[in-house]
Amino acid sequence: MSTDSLTAGKSTRRKSSRAAKPDPQSPDNAPRRRKGLSERNRPLWMLIPGGLLMVIIIVVPLLLGIFMSGLDLDQYSLRQWVSAPFIGVQNFVEALTASPLLHAIWLSVSYSLLAMVVTIPLGIAGAVATQNAFKGRAVIRSIFLVPYVLPSFVVATVWRTMFQPGSVIDSALHSVGIDPGLWLNGPQSYWTLILVQIWASWPFVYLLALSGLQSVDHEVHEASALDGALWWNKLRYVVFPYLKGPLSLAFLIGMLHHINNFTLPFVLFGVPAPSDVELLPILTYVTSFQSFRFGLSAAMAFISLILIAIPLFVYLRAVKLDDAETPGGKK
Amino acid sequence: MKFASSAKFAAVAVTAALALTACGGGSTSSGGSAGPVDGKGKKLSVLVNSSAAYPAQQKQWFTDIAAKFKAQTGADVQFETFASANDELTRIQTSVVSGQGPDVYSLGTTFTPTAYATKAFVTLSDDDWKKVGGKDKFNQAALGISGPDAQHQAGIPFVSRPFVMAYNKDILKAAGIDKPATSWDELATQAKKMTDPSTGTFGLATGYKDSFDPWKFIWAMSVQAGNPLVDGKTLKLDDPAVKKAYETYFGWLTKDKVVDPASIGWSNSNAVAAFASGKAGYLMMTTSSSLPTLDKSAVAGKYAYTAMPTTAPGQSSPQGDAANAASILSGDNVVVADYSKQKDLAFAYVNLITSKDEQLNYQKIFGDLPANAEALKALNNPVLQPVADTAAKSKATPFTGAWGDIQLALLNVVVQSIPDLSKGSVDDSSLQARLKDAQSKGQASLDRASK
Repeated sequence: MSTDSLTAGKSTRRKSSRAAKPDPQSPDNAPRRRKGLSERNRPLWMLIPGGLLMVIIIVVPLLLGIFMSGLDLDQYSLRQWVSAPFIGVQNFVEALTASPLLHAIWLSVSYSLLAMVVTIPLGIAGAVATQNAFKGRAVIRSIFLVPYVLPSFVVATVWRTMFQPGSVIDSALHSVGIDPGLWLNGPQSYWTLILVQIWASWPFVYLLALSGLQSVDHEVHEASALDGALWWNKLRYVVFPYLKGPLSLAFLIGMLHHINNFTLPFVLFGVPAPSDVELLPILTYVTSFQSFRFGLSAAMAFISLILIAIPLFVYLRAVKLDDAETPGGKK
Repeated sequence: MKFASSAKFAAVAVTAALALTACGGGSTSSGGSAGPVDGKGKKLSVLVNSSAAYPAQQKQWFTDIAAKFKAQTGADVQFETFASANDELTRIQTSVVSGQGPDVYSLGTTFTPTAYATKAFVTLSDDDWKKVGGKDKFNQAALGISGPDAQHQAGIPFVSRPFVMAYNKDILKAAGIDKPATSWDELATQAKKMTDPSTGTFGLATGYKDSFDPWKFIWAMSVQAGNPLVDGKTLKLDDPAVKKAYETYFGWLTKDKVVDPASIGWSNSNAVAAFASGKAGYLMMTTSSSLPTLDKSAVAGKYAYTAMPTTAPGQSSPQGDAANAASILSGDNVVVADYSKQKDLAFAYVNLITSKDEQLNYQKIFGDLPANAEALKALNNPVLQPVADTAAKSKATPFTGAWGDIQLALLNVVVQSIPDLSKGSVDDSSLQARLKDAQSKGQASLDRASK
């Protein structure tokens, strides 16, 4: 309710400011002024430098990648790569039927989802616990952020050392009578990956949840206290609705990040990866840089691009980021 | 005023450009003869692998070589380093596609076929060989992986790093062993005698999680049993010799129990550390570059190098050419980029670093053996003698662009077997299935290579 009125207020303000400016430049199309001017006179040309960079850095490589996915490009044809034989969709067919791509997609998506499902409550709990001021809160908050600040490579190296057969984790578990088995290979490696991912990424959820909590108006707390709401009801019906936005953003970014995460599995398990953790980025990497099948791996990368575009699209539709920008004008 | 100054500037620029052109013209005319290459004002760019063990010494070596090169040719050398084969591959890819980049690359031997397949490097003509000091100056065995045949060679041998094993003389003696094993079966028997889990001593030290070692064992045992893995256009990983090799390699852990159970998580450096602490009889699959480390360790003076067994598992004496397959032909080659505009200068650099003195100097600093034949003969360190002998008994891995994939497939069998290894046995059917998978992947890659 309050957000709606806020956006409405903003948009009217924006509209009026736009309407005020442009008059002197275009006296000839006065009749259409109110509708058209706000778009026509936006100095879009100022976007050119940025737009040009975007084209060079994002669009051109993307198109090249798509082009490559149609080529039979390997170390034998790399030198004259433009003239590598064009084989249409064969790379896609091979990626989907004759390579472990589908298995890799399944592993990547399921592991990302599991890690997210655990990190979200953890993040909320951490945020709620450090919401009210207490002595040493700043220290606790900084400690919570440590895993997030550490480079992925360092996190993975330290965990790999701890998970080595016969290393600290094994001996700790042995001392309480548990034989944990292998961490870095075999079926358990999948859970190792999830565990390390949770450790490394929960502070991100925590950060966003914290930002959501900060936006809860003081009056709302007061009002709910006046109504006699206990902590759970207050949390469930008053605070959580505020967190919905930041948390769905955390979920989306987290999923994309996990699916694309290369460093963590690469450093933890090495290549060739055990088949239980042969994730999408690892598979693409091995296909490209160990087997030198650049065309095939471009096809794999393209498939994974589509894969991560789906949740992104769903999310953008759901939060209507675009609509929030243009409520007064046209698309 | 403004015009005047810019005109002045233009005049200076033109004069400078003319002077430079004159310089360039002069150098080509004087460098055309057989005499030393004149590279005054030029800069040669060289890409080498960074030395993880001796970073400071490597920097010093760069400075020294650059100074010597400058004295010889007047040109500067700019060194760049890469940390892994993948880094290097990325550099090669960009350079190959864009046609610019380093003039000289240093390549691991097993990576040479892949690089050769890109056709981005100079295949040396007789004339080119003369410029680097003649083919005869090299240890002839080291030329085995320079190209697909003697007429088409791109890789110029720089150093040899043959694989040998080190043994702890005290542990062997205590177990009543007077001579290191020469067959794989004997090795296992000796290792059993030395293994004593109560003191944490094991017969063999090797890393099952290493990114390279496992396939080298499989390759060696298979070749010694008469299967060179690649036969023309056919890959033979589904051969009994290969399976036997895997069984022997896994058997050290599961049946003979002569390696530390933790070695399923070890890389080669962990194995070196175990041997260096005096907890292992044999250190498998090591090179002379472990010498500086071992000489500073608890086993200093108590160890010796020797060739690894050359008698295939299950046999009593080396069959066929097995005696000459003590190690893969290993080391570094240097290649000159095809796009380089200063190839003569590049060859002059290669000539310098492969000269007898420089090769001996390099050996002293980094432990790698010379590829220069005279320098190899001149080595008089008795500890290194077995390693030098092995350099002459090394066999090249198959020269095909598919080798990278085949190597990966061989390694993958071990990676996927590690959970079984940790449980104590690798059952026959799953090993068979993994070999079948490796065979089909490797064969597909070989098909692409011969297309």
